[in-house]
Amino acid sequence: MAEVSAPQPAQPGLAAGRLKFAALLLATAAFYLACIYVADLNLAKLWLGLPRLATWAGRAWPPDFSEFPILLYRAAETVAMATVGISIGALIAAPVCLLAAANTTPSLWLAYPARWVLNALRGIDSFVFALIFVAAVGLGPFAGVLGIALHSAGSIAKLWAEAIETAAPGPLEAARMSGASRLKVFLYALLPDVMPSLASILLYLWEFNVRSSTVLGIVGAGGIGQELKNSMDLLLFDRLFAILLIILAMVTAIDALSAWLRRKLS
Amino acid sequence: MMAGTLQLETMGLSKRFGDTLALDGVSLKIERGEFVAVLGPSGSGKSTLFRCITRLTEPDSGEVYVGGRPMLGVGGQTLAATRREIGIVFQQFNIIRRRTALENVLAGRLRAMPLWRVASGVFARTDIECAAAALDAVGLSKQLHQRADTLSGGQQQRVAIARALAQESRVLLADEPVASLDPETAASVLALMHSLARSTGLAILCTLHQPEFASRYADRTLQMRNGRLGDP
Repeated sequence: MAEVSAPQPAQPGLAAGRLKFAALLLATAAFYLACIYVADLNLAKLWLGLPRLATWAGRAWPPDFSEFPILLYRAAETVAMATVGISIGALIAAPVCLLAAANTTPSLWLAYPARWVLNALRGIDSFVFALIFVAAVGLGPFAGVLGIALHSAGSIAKLWAEAIETAAPGPLEAARMSGASRLKVFLYALLPDVMPSLASILLYLWEFNVRSSTVLGIVGAGGIGQELKNSMDLLLFDRLFAILLIILAMVTAIDALSAWLRRKLS
Repeated sequence: MMAGTLQLETMGLSKRFGDTLALDGVSLKIERGEFVAVLGPSGSGKSTLFRCITRLTEPDSGEVYVGGRPMLGVGGQTLAATRREIGIVFQQFNIIRRRTALENVLAGRLRAMPLWRVASGVFARTDIECAAAALDAVGLSKQLHQRADTLSGGQQQRVAIARALAQESRVLLADEPVASLDPETAASVLALMHSLARSTGLAILCTLHQPEFASRYADRTLQMRNGRLGDP
């Protein structure tokens, strides 16, 4: 019965499906063309610029490590900014993620506003925050720390809330039945369960922030990025190359350390 | 029966989910030290009955008394205090996997503990002794410091029972406590519950699938069908 009657109503549905697919394809193509036009792709300009790039590359060798101690100090500044920034971010995120997670929030009336705040923090890049804080607290790594802290507070709390929501509800209900308060239930029954994933998320974001905060110096918010900008402005390409090598070494080392720690956690 | 020994009483407990009447005027009484089994197919309302007694789900109408004190129409501290009188054992054990057997049993005593003890895991001697005694009563005195997720299913369910004992509750609600266990382990867990009811006066309401378990271990058996409770 079903085999006989099924194809008949399916025919018009199929045609409508194809039409929809074609429309989608057309819309995607139009969107792409518009993006290429607006992005001002120009292969001729690239071709003309190539000799200039080649000269620069020639002048970058050998890398200039004559200021190695100060460059190393700036790299350490970048790592320090990311570390302190993410720690402050975590302190902000801890109470907010408990309000945002569906299984720990005291009320949905609090959960939704909490999520809006988190999305706003996440939506504004630490680079943009740093730009504002440089104006407020002056040049230097402290502005970078504040920028990283605010932006990562949003990311940490969102990822933490998601991790908390995946916890099994049973042990929570069992602990709540002992008449214990929400906070006690969270600390005792939930935290040990989700602790490894919370720590893993924090490590990942730390590693991510070390990478992304290399550019914060460009707006004057401290770290190796400041030296990068100076060298570029003065066209010191051998020094620039040395800085890039230091950034690569730093990021690789931090990635490896974070990956190793996260493996230990799971 | 003697007055004052009534530990759990429900009167006309009802709960509707959309078009289905999950609980249809359920009334029951359980005395001190009594082991009552409830039989019934899945979907007959057994779990809803438990969730309504504990108010994990809010019933539409009816009354619930635990140790003579009302469960419904109260809130906050009063509800928490009365809830403490009910220990629960679930089919899925619901223990905290990354904590030891002893720490899981201590979860039954969280209410009276100061927050700093809960957060730091530095427990009072009296709480530890009570939890150790509860584990001893369920035959796990050798597994005190073993992590819960390394225990067998039967042992995990014993930990859950010990948690209810450490909570010093009057009533134990057991929702299909042996459904995930092999027959031999299931029999030993039910035998344990039966003897605990006798020795500690715990009033037990226990849902089961197998009638032969009910007739062997329970003092009374009730039948649940379409949200109504009756004799089998």
